[in-house]
Amino acid sequence: MATAGGAAPLAMDEKARRTRDLLASFYNTDPSAAAGAAAPASLARPSPTAAPASPLDSINSTSFDPDIYMNVLVQQSNLEGLLQRHVKMAAEIKNLDTDLQMLVYENYNKFISATDTIKRMKTNIVGMEANMDQLLAKITSVQSKSDTVNTSLFDKRENIEKLHRTRNLLRKVQFIYDLPTRLNKCIKTEAYADAVSFFTGVKPIFEAYGDTSFQDCKKASEEAMDLVIQHLQAKLYSDSEPIEARAEAVVLLKQLNFPVDNLKSNLLEKLEDCLLNFQNEPTQASIGDISKTFRAYLIIFPDSERRLIELTQALFSNRYESVRENLKKRIPSTDLLAMLRSLWEDATAIDEVIPEAALPAFSLETTRDIIRQHIATVFLHLQSEISEALVRTHSTSNEKLEESQLQTAMEASKIKVSQGCIDLLQEFHHLIDGNIELLVKLRDLIIDWVQEGFQDFFQKLDGHFHVLSGRSKKKSQESTMDSVQIDKVPTVLVLMLAQLCVYIEQTTVPKVTEELASSFFGGGARSYEYGPPFVPGEICRLYRSSGEKFLHHYINMKTQKISKLLNKRFTTPVWIKHKEPREVNMFVDLLLLEINGVVSEVKQILPGIVRRHRHSDSTGSTTSSRSNPMREDMLNRSNTHRARSQFLENHLAKLFEQKMEIFTKVEYTQESVICTVLKLCLKSLQEFVRLQTFNRSGFQQIQLDMEFLKTSLKEFVDDEAAISFLLKEVNNAAHERCLDPIPLEPPILDKLINAKLAKIKEENSNMW
Amino acid sequence: MQGGSSGIVYGGLKYQASKQQQQRLLEPSRTTCLNLFLLSLLLQARCIADVRADAGSTTFLAGTLSLKEENEVHLIRLSPAESELVCDGLFYHPNEIWDLKSCPFDHRVFSTVYTSGEGYGASVWKIPEVNGQSNSPQLEQLFELSGHTGKTRRVVWWPLGKHDKLISIDDRNIFLWNIDTSNKSAKVISQGSADMLPNLRGGAWDPHNHNSIAAISDSSLQLWDLRSMEKSTAIEHAHIRDVDYNPKKQNIIATAEDEFGIRLWDLRMLKHPLKDLPGHSHWTWAVRHNPEYDELLLSAGTDSTVNLWLAKVSSDDSESDSPSGSPNRQEEPLLNSYTDYEDSIYDCLGISQALLAEKMNLARLSILNRCCIFEKCSGKGLELYDEVELD
Repeated sequence: MATAGGAAPLAMDEKARRTRDLLASFYNTDPSAAAGAAAPASLARPSPTAAPASPLDSINSTSFDPDIYMNVLVQQSNLEGLLQRHVKMAAEIKNLDTDLQMLVYENYNKFISATDTIKRMKTNIVGMEANMDQLLAKITSVQSKSDTVNTSLFDKRENIEKLHRTRNLLRKVQFIYDLPTRLNKCIKTEAYADAVSFFTGVKPIFEAYGDTSFQDCKKASEEAMDLVIQHLQAKLYSDSEPIEARAEAVVLLKQLNFPVDNLKSNLLEKLEDCLLNFQNEPTQASIGDISKTFRAYLIIFPDSERRLIELTQALFSNRYESVRENLKKRIPSTDLLAMLRSLWEDATAIDEVIPEAALPAFSLETTRDIIRQHIATVFLHLQSEISEALVRTHSTSNEKLEESQLQTAMEASKIKVSQGCIDLLQEFHHLIDGNIELLVKLRDLIIDWVQEGFQDFFQKLDGHFHVLSGRSKKKSQESTMDSVQIDKVPTVLVLMLAQLCVYIEQTTVPKVTEELASSFFGGGARSYEYGPPFVPGEICRLYRSSGEKFLHHYINMKTQKISKLLNKRFTTPVWIKHKEPREVNMFVDLLLLEINGVVSEVKQILPGIVRRHRHSDSTGSTTSSRSNPMREDMLNRSNTHRARSQFLENHLAKLFEQKMEIFTKVEYTQESVICTVLKLCLKSLQEFVRLQTFNRSGFQQIQLDMEFLKTSLKEFVDDEAAISFLLKEVNNAAHERCLDPIPLEPPILDKLINAKLAKIKEENSNMW
Repeated sequence: MQGGSSGIVYGGLKYQASKQQQQRLLEPSRTTCLNLFLLSLLLQARCIADVRADAGSTTFLAGTLSLKEENEVHLIRLSPAESELVCDGLFYHPNEIWDLKSCPFDHRVFSTVYTSGEGYGASVWKIPEVNGQSNSPQLEQLFELSGHTGKTRRVVWWPLGKHDKLISIDDRNIFLWNIDTSNKSAKVISQGSADMLPNLRGGAWDPHNHNSIAAISDSSLQLWDLRSMEKSTAIEHAHIRDVDYNPKKQNIIATAEDEFGIRLWDLRMLKHPLKDLPGHSHWTWAVRHNPEYDELLLSAGTDSTVNLWLAKVSSDDSESDSPSGSPNRQEEPLLNSYTDYEDSIYDCLGISQALLAEKMNLARLSILNRCCIFEKCSGKGLELYDEVELD
């Protein structure tokens, strides 16, 4: 204990703190808390040497083991150290004792003072009870008093409230009674908006109590309101009022539950009438006025847009319809253009007001259709014109066959085709150069249509030609009238068609192609998957083949006719009992007549080639002429030989002779056509002969006829070789089919032929 | 019989059988001529018939038309060994033969129509058994179809096999005969007369209908019902030279006309033809269907050509025909044209036999699926083609 005072001054603070901790832990029953309190203290200890695990330090902790402590202490310290520690410890213990003692005293003191205070409190509380009772009594009396006051005032308050309500009601009633005058005042100042708002405010009351004392008042104010409505209507109808005022009037009317829709429809009907007038007599009103009206109506009746759109669309579709009506007739492109232009201008004007009507799109579409139709009509018209020209010529030529008539008709139809196409192109040119915005948009399309139109036109024309020629496969689709006509297609027409086809192929199509290329380039708005719309090559091919078909058809018809004649000639007589020939048979005359007819037709229609030297045309001419003398020989010899060897020789001769090309390609020349007809006829003649059996006279008759034909046919043909070859063939055939083939003696032959020629000459001179 | 490519002289007539294989090598076209036989008769002939009853081999009968010479009937066989034409028999015929038809059920029997001087006649003949070296045995005349007043034109057998009827046509009557080849007898069952200058030329018996026959006249094609012997319907205003029924399809008929070339008709719709083929430059004299491939048509004309056509006809609709003549029809119906002739051709026939095809194309039967053989009979020649189309 004594050593505590003499402890090292540096350790004084720490020692005091430790002591306090210990004391505190004494009061604190929780050992862990004490340990927790001790641990940070030990951690905060500045001496680094003191390891927390050191048993020497754990003297204050709860887990203090005195034995270990002693062992450690003894082991670690020397004697001196132990002594020092003893001293120190003794001092500490002494200190602790005194501190403990002091604390006990202190506590005791505090306890005494506390008991003193409690004693005093007891004495103070005794008098309070009575006071509290008094207070309660007083408060209850106050409450009862307040209740009585309240009940006595209640009636009066209710009265006051009732009075207040009545006052308000009275004020309203006053307003209602004042309403008519107020409204009148409003009418006078034209403050219709105020009037309407007043009236609509009062209206529910009128509705509820209208048949009581308010009756007069209601009537008066309703009259006033009627006036207001009248004014408003007048305002609405008057065009002179500003649009805003009119719109306001409509709003007010609507607030008054006035049937505005009626008004609207009335107005729109008026507008419709107006538009109808415009449509019928476009001069009366300008499109500007109409568009202004539209604008006004749009503002006045914002919900009338749909109706207006309908109206405008109807207007324009009607107008386009009338244009379309015009299209049914053939109208010049310029006229159409003018119509379309004015329509387009109108459409754009209206479009500024009502873009929702989509007028430009509509007109674009309609114009497209119209132009398309126009192009189609124009082509159709041209086609019918051409066919008319053709048909007219044949119908007139049937009646009187003047010399040059066919020729002029041919020329006329050629010109018709050519000029027609060129005119069309010019018209289409107008369409493209029309400079209307609309048409600029459609330019590519128009170009395509024009090209397509030409393609179609030429194809259709070809089809029409076929129908005209009577060779069309579509006979079944034509009317019966046509099929009747088809039976009587004049052969001339077929020939003309053939020539026209050639003309179209060689002249018109190139011309049109050129024109198209120069002024209708571009196009291609359509995709090119089908290739360009106008394919001149295809058309040319078509017409070439058609031309050939017609030409063949012509030749066919002619030869058919002659074939019938020959058939009659060869089937009627009994050849085997034929009488000796006295003159050239009549059928030769008929044949020549027919051929003359062909020649005159062909000469007028087909181009002739310049006549060269006579023997020039056929490929086989030289060989044939070479073979002629041989054949002559052979025939002469056959007079004597009549045996089978002659027959063989006949064939041998044929083998050596170059094959005669009888069926050469037909060309579009007079000579070629005439020659082909002749060749076919002679070939038919040969075949007819082959079917018969002749006696000598019959053979001689054939020989005579052929000989005469030989001289007569020279006039017609250049290709003499082929003709004489065929005539010989006929002769040969007759020879083969003859039981007793002895030809006529040349002098007799000559005599008979000369007699016939003389007869013909005589007839001719008689005719002249 | 001798074969080979050398010429043989037989009965004073010269046959040339030559193979012209080179042509095929020179022209490798779509249609290839495999074999081409040329067999020249130095007599004129107008008719040739396919001996159908002879199933074992391919034989033909040809009759000559010679006013002054002795006329013959030639039995020609296509030798199965190596595709040669062999003359199997030569028989004298008393008159010039205008029409010859082989009996479809007895290969030894055939009919001819002939003229002698002014008279016309028709007979049925039987080829005698060839025994020994008899050069020209006589034909056995089974019976004559006598009773015709006009010019006899045509004898028609029922085309498909055994039938005891026969039809003969003269220029205004049609006779239906009941024939019995074993008894050598023929009786007229019924007779039909055409009215008003009909001038019948010939006809064809409908292979699908015993009772129907198509007769042709100068101006029309008439369908006769053999039961009533009355004209039922007609194609008017057509100058028809020949007519042939489609062997496979009912109601389809092909006509050869002067004006329109070859036309195919449906007999139920006679107003408009199913198909038009251009025909020949001059008259189309004959038209024949190939018996096996009925789309193949063979035509002969007086322009010295034989044309082979491909004409597809769907039997039920006529729609397919509507675009014909328009340029978009690219299909060329003319398959081949044989122009190497010097005179008019009056008869032709298309034959096709599976047996033959097999033998001829032993190695390539798999790729050759269409075969046609035809003969041409012209004023003086007879040729046989084997036509093979690679499809």
